[in-house]
Amino acid sequence: ATLTMAAVRAQTKFLSTNVLIKPFFSRFCASGSGQEAGEGASQVKKVNQESGQDGSQIKKVEPGGFAKSFIKYTQSSSSKVSEEAPKPSRTFSSLLRNSKLIQLGDPEGKVVEGTVFHVVENDLYIDFGSKFYCVCHRPQRNAQSYVRGARVRLRLHELELSTRFLGSSTDMTLLEADATLLGLIHPPKKTESAKQ
Amino acid sequence: MATLGKKLFILSVRMGRGLWHRGIVSSSNPVQSAVEPLEKLQESSSDAITEQMAKSLKYPDFFKVAELFTVEDLFNARVHLGHREGSLNDHMSQFIFGSRLSHLIFDLDQTATLLREALNFTAHIAFRGGIILFVGRIPQHQVMIENTAKECGEYAHTRYWQGGVLTNSTIQFGSVIRLPDLIIFLHTMNNVIYEHTAIRDAAKMLIPTVGIVDTNCNPNLITYPVPGNDDSAASISLFCNLFKAAILRGKEKRKELLGVH
Repeated sequence: ATLTMAAVRAQTKFLSTNVLIKPFFSRFCASGSGQEAGEGASQVKKVNQESGQDGSQIKKVEPGGFAKSFIKYTQSSSSKVSEEAPKPSRTFSSLLRNSKLIQLGDPEGKVVEGTVFHVVENDLYIDFGSKFYCVCHRPQRNAQSYVRGARVRLRLHELELSTRFLGSSTDMTLLEADATLLGLIHPPKKTESAKQ
Repeated sequence: MATLGKKLFILSVRMGRGLWHRGIVSSSNPVQSAVEPLEKLQESSSDAITEQMAKSLKYPDFFKVAELFTVEDLFNARVHLGHREGSLNDHMSQFIFGSRLSHLIFDLDQTATLLREALNFTAHIAFRGGIILFVGRIPQHQVMIENTAKECGEYAHTRYWQGGVLTNSTIQFGSVIRLPDLIIFLHTMNNVIYEHTAIRDAAKMLIPTVGIVDTNCNPNLITYPVPGNDDSAASISLFCNLFKAAILRGKEKRKELLGVH
C-alpha cells in the first residue's frame, strides 16, 4: 500500500512540475517538453520496476497517456510499428482513393487473381473482385483442377464489355468482363473438391 | 359476385383486427374497395395498438436500421461500382460520385442516406403487418431473392411477369386479391433494355416501391430509390440481407409492442 502511495505522489509531483516548467520550455526550446516527458517517463518506469520487484501482489502503475506514446515512439523499431501503420480514414472518398480499382488504372494488360465460382461444361465463370465476372474456356493443360473454388490468374482486357452500336442511343452491354486465363494459382481446398 | 366480394373484404378486415386500414383490394367494382381513413382510427385513442403505431412514427429511426450497415460494408460489397458512361441514364447522374476511366462510381454517402430511408420504410411496413413482395428478374440472383423472402416470411416474384398481375388481378386469379403493400425491386430492369412492368403498375395501383437503381436504370417512378450496383452477387446478397434484417426487426417490434403475430 505504501509503495502505491509513493507512486501516486511521484506522478503528482511530475504533473505539478510539468505545469510550471512546460510553458517556459515550450516557448524557448523545442525539445524542452521532450526532456520533461523523458524524465517523467523514466520516473514512471522506475516506479513500475519497484512495484514489480517487491511482489506480484502489488498492482503495477500504468504510465499516463503521453508517457505511453513517448515510450512507444522512442523505443527501437519492432514489429509493432508496422502493425500500427497509419490506416486511411474510413470515409467513402478515402476508401475509394485507396481501393484496388483506382490502383489498377487502365485494366488492359493488368494481371489479377480470380476465383472460379461456377462451371458450365467447359466454361469457367471467374470472379476477380470487379462489378462483373469473366467467362473463360477451360484450358487443356491441367483441366481437372479448374473446378469451383480454384484460384486462377487472369490478364484483364476490359472491366465491362459494352459499346455503342450504330443507330442506338445508349450502349449495349454484355454484363461481363473480358479476360484471358493465364493459369492456376492453386486448386480448391480438399473440402470443396470433395463436394464436387 | 359483387356482394360476395364485399363479404370477403369485410371478413378479411375483421381477421386483420382493423389494422389493415391501408390495404388495397382489387375488386371488379372500385367503389366497394373501402379504404378506412386514418383519422377514423385515431378517434378511438384509447386503443393501445393505435397509440403504439402513432408513437412509432414520431422517431426518425424507430427500428435503428442505421446500425445494420456502414459505408465500408457497402464499399466491400462493391455497391459503388456502376456501368460505363455510355449507358448512363440522365436521371442517375445526381447519384454519381464520378467516373474512373469511363467506369461510373456511385456516391456511397448518398446511397447510405437513401438506403437508411428505404430500410426504415420497409421496417415500418413490416411493423404494420404489410405484405412485402421481392421482385428481381436476373436469373443468377433468383434463388437468393426467393430464399430471402422465405427467411423473412414474405413473398417473392422472380419469374416472368404476366401483364395484369397488379392491374387485372381479379380476373387473372379469379377472386378478390389483397395486393402487396410494398414492392422491393432488387433489379429494376427486365434485361438490359426494358424496365420491369411492375414499377409502372405499382405506381398505378398506389403501391409504394423500394428499388436498387443502377446507372442504366430510371429511378423516376420508384418511391425509395437506392442508387447502387445491382449486377454483382456480393452487392445483391448484401441488399437482400439488409432488407431481411429490417423486415425481421419490424416484425419483432410488432410482436413485442402490438402483441400481434
